[in-house]
Amino acid sequence: MLFRQIFTAALASAAMSVFPAIAADYPVDTVTLVTHSSPGGGSDVFLREMSKYLAPELGVNVVVENVRGGSGAKAMADLAQAPADGARFYATTPTFIYTSLLSEPEYKYTDLEPLVNFFIDPEVIYTAAGSKFQTLEDVIKASAESRGRWGAANPASLERQALEQLKASTGVQAGIVTHEGGGDLMINVLNGTLQIGVGEVQEIQSQLEAGEIRLLATFSDARLDNFPDLPTVEELGYGVVVRKFRGIAGPKGLPADVIAAWENAAQAVLASPEYKKTYEANNLRANFMPHAEYGQFIETFANDTESFLRESGVIK
Amino acid sequence: METLYLVAVHLGNPYVFLAAAAGVTWGILGGAMPGISPSITMALLLPFTYTMDPTGAIVLLASTYVGAEYGGSIPAILIRTPGTNAAAATVIDGYEMNKQGRAGLALGISLYSGVLGSLFGLTMLILLSKPLASVALAFTPPAYFALGVLGLSVIATLSGDSLLKGFVAALLGLMIATIGTDPVTGANRFTFGSSDLLSGIAPVLIMVGMFAMSELLVQASDRSEGTKVLSRPRIEFPGLKLARRLMFPQSIGATIGTFEGVMPGAGGTIASFMSYNEARRWSRHKEEFGKGSPEGIAAPETANNAVAETALVPLLSFGIPGSNSTAILLGGFLIHGLVPGPMLFTRSADVVHGLYAGLFIAAIGLLVIGILMLPMCIWLVNRPRPYLSAFIFALILSGIFSIHASLFDLAIMLAAGTVGFFMRMLRIPFLPAVLGLVLGYLVESSFRRSLVLSGDDLSIFFTDKVSLALLVVAFLFVAGSVGKRALDFVRHRPSAHYSEGSE
Repeated sequence: MLFRQIFTAALASAAMSVFPAIAADYPVDTVTLVTHSSPGGGSDVFLREMSKYLAPELGVNVVVENVRGGSGAKAMADLAQAPADGARFYATTPTFIYTSLLSEPEYKYTDLEPLVNFFIDPEVIYTAAGSKFQTLEDVIKASAESRGRWGAANPASLERQALEQLKASTGVQAGIVTHEGGGDLMINVLNGTLQIGVGEVQEIQSQLEAGEIRLLATFSDARLDNFPDLPTVEELGYGVVVRKFRGIAGPKGLPADVIAAWENAAQAVLASPEYKKTYEANNLRANFMPHAEYGQFIETFANDTESFLRESGVIK
Repeated sequence: METLYLVAVHLGNPYVFLAAAAGVTWGILGGAMPGISPSITMALLLPFTYTMDPTGAIVLLASTYVGAEYGGSIPAILIRTPGTNAAAATVIDGYEMNKQGRAGLALGISLYSGVLGSLFGLTMLILLSKPLASVALAFTPPAYFALGVLGLSVIATLSGDSLLKGFVAALLGLMIATIGTDPVTGANRFTFGSSDLLSGIAPVLIMVGMFAMSELLVQASDRSEGTKVLSRPRIEFPGLKLARRLMFPQSIGATIGTFEGVMPGAGGTIASFMSYNEARRWSRHKEEFGKGSPEGIAAPETANNAVAETALVPLLSFGIPGSNSTAILLGGFLIHGLVPGPMLFTRSADVVHGLYAGLFIAAIGLLVIGILMLPMCIWLVNRPRPYLSAFIFALILSGIFSIHASLFDLAIMLAAGTVGFFMRMLRIPFLPAVLGLVLGYLVESSFRRSLVLSGDDLSIFFTDKVSLALLVVAFLFVAGSVGKRALDFVRHRPSAHYSEGSE
């Protein structure tokens, strides 16, 4: 009995510290953020961290739920059929576009309503510290002479798309080797099998700090705050920009007050100095897009991706 | 030596001790549930670690992994259901021993082999992390292909009396492995527009179906009563003579397990099958394999527990998770703001030392908790057959359902059970199918990746030294095994039925 009381008290105090008193203006008490990532996966860890800051801004409890399976197909079906009352949202990454285009599931990205964008994960090109390549130009030059060996984490991914675009824009010969995740890729870059790899800064941070790999360029639209000397692929004259987004989507027909609440909360969360320290250390770039802009962005992104997948023969 | 001292300091830390004991207990329970893989067992604990201190959280998760890898052998021996993929090799001789009423001894052997494997793997992890990490780096895509081929070469000896039937089964496994996303282009193959098939068919569904479900069907179709030999509900450890005999298969398992663990993507299943095969090859009691050989339990169980320890080498030294379980562990590190990789040892050495200490406690905890828990498990399977069958059926259905809360998974498992039932009637062995399924993806993706690297030039498999060496070994294995069969055939001697238990 005593144990139970202590337990309840502890639970209550824990809840108090994380979730403040419920504000009156948001239509529901609890917001569920659905991710297709497994517990402990990249998106999952990111969401759980963000929900700590989101809860007080929205004035609700924020819960993260993992709806796995079908690389996001299950999660999209879940969301498309949920009521548009502001209680259930989907954490978007480019995966949901890829899955929609590749596997033609029953419910696609078009059945969801993009709400707001929070971040861009900058993608960088890196090579082993011991390799002879000092700049991206060196790699391109070498690949023009003999067939290059470039690596991307997954076959149907933004990273591969970026490399295919780079290959097309430079006109060089390169085999683009795809892997089962960033880890595999990293090993093949470290042991010299591959000349370059592409990944998010976060994935390669430890090797970077240990001086085992060298960054050559970023696919971002502007230079990164943490690496001011790193050129962008675009300014090197190859004209490829990649934006790996992290945002929120909901069921179709979200009420206007919910949209407004999220637009305000997103900006407040991104401005929070405490959270800013965390996400900047993790090399995430704040990139707020309001509802109207985000919908446009997702549509353009999906169209670009679709034409890439068609050109590379992945879909017909 | 300094490392050992720093690790020893943490041994007295009650927090580490509690986390390790709790983790290993939870791990054994999760691993013993069919369908609940080590990674799911760990994932269930993950939310509880948010508020713990980093060392405690990491120790809890890692001990769960150790416990779960061991726990898989319990249902493998008692109800012919591998609780984890890596326990599939233990089914062969473990279940046979159980049928002979020697379940107590079988469980005792798997327990103490598991503890030895864990301790060996842990020693390697602590003392040889650096050199072992360079082994992982030496494996390029062609080398992974060759490693997969080496694993597949085991089929030649696991095929029982007919090599042809073995190949049929292996092809079936390889075919199932092609379902899902194409590893190079990303296109969908054989998914027929179903999003459930998008990420392929998990080996666990096929294993549980083929082993456990088909066994239930066989038992249900057997009308005779009281044929079952009951084991005494107590755990037995081998005597001095048997223990000495088991030392050799255990060292085979420990060595293979250590190396396979270090390589991302290779994993416990290949390790346990390869050590089973090697233990049989070098054994003086070859004829006992497949009919309840204690060596056939000792080798794979030592191997898959050694894997659970050395799998931490690529995670800690590169930040690269080699399996689903280590990916969850990586998540555990990230949640606490620790980034595994080259800087971990300099920046958070304390956490690493605490982890090592926790793993040591977990290995010992395995022994203690096993001794306490196993007699109950034997008692449970000694219940009358109708109750037991119903219980197992409920257990595997709920286990499989809990993976993705998917009825589709259940259907796949039941279909695999039906196919398995007919395979048993036709005396087609399961093990080649399981191996084909587990290795198919590794072999195919590495093969095609290598060809993208070389620009469709096949010579890459012979210019890569590691690949060449592994392919030569694989060729010798197959040639030796086929040659022996041919010789037996010419001399009109019946071939030994190596994998009787798998049929």
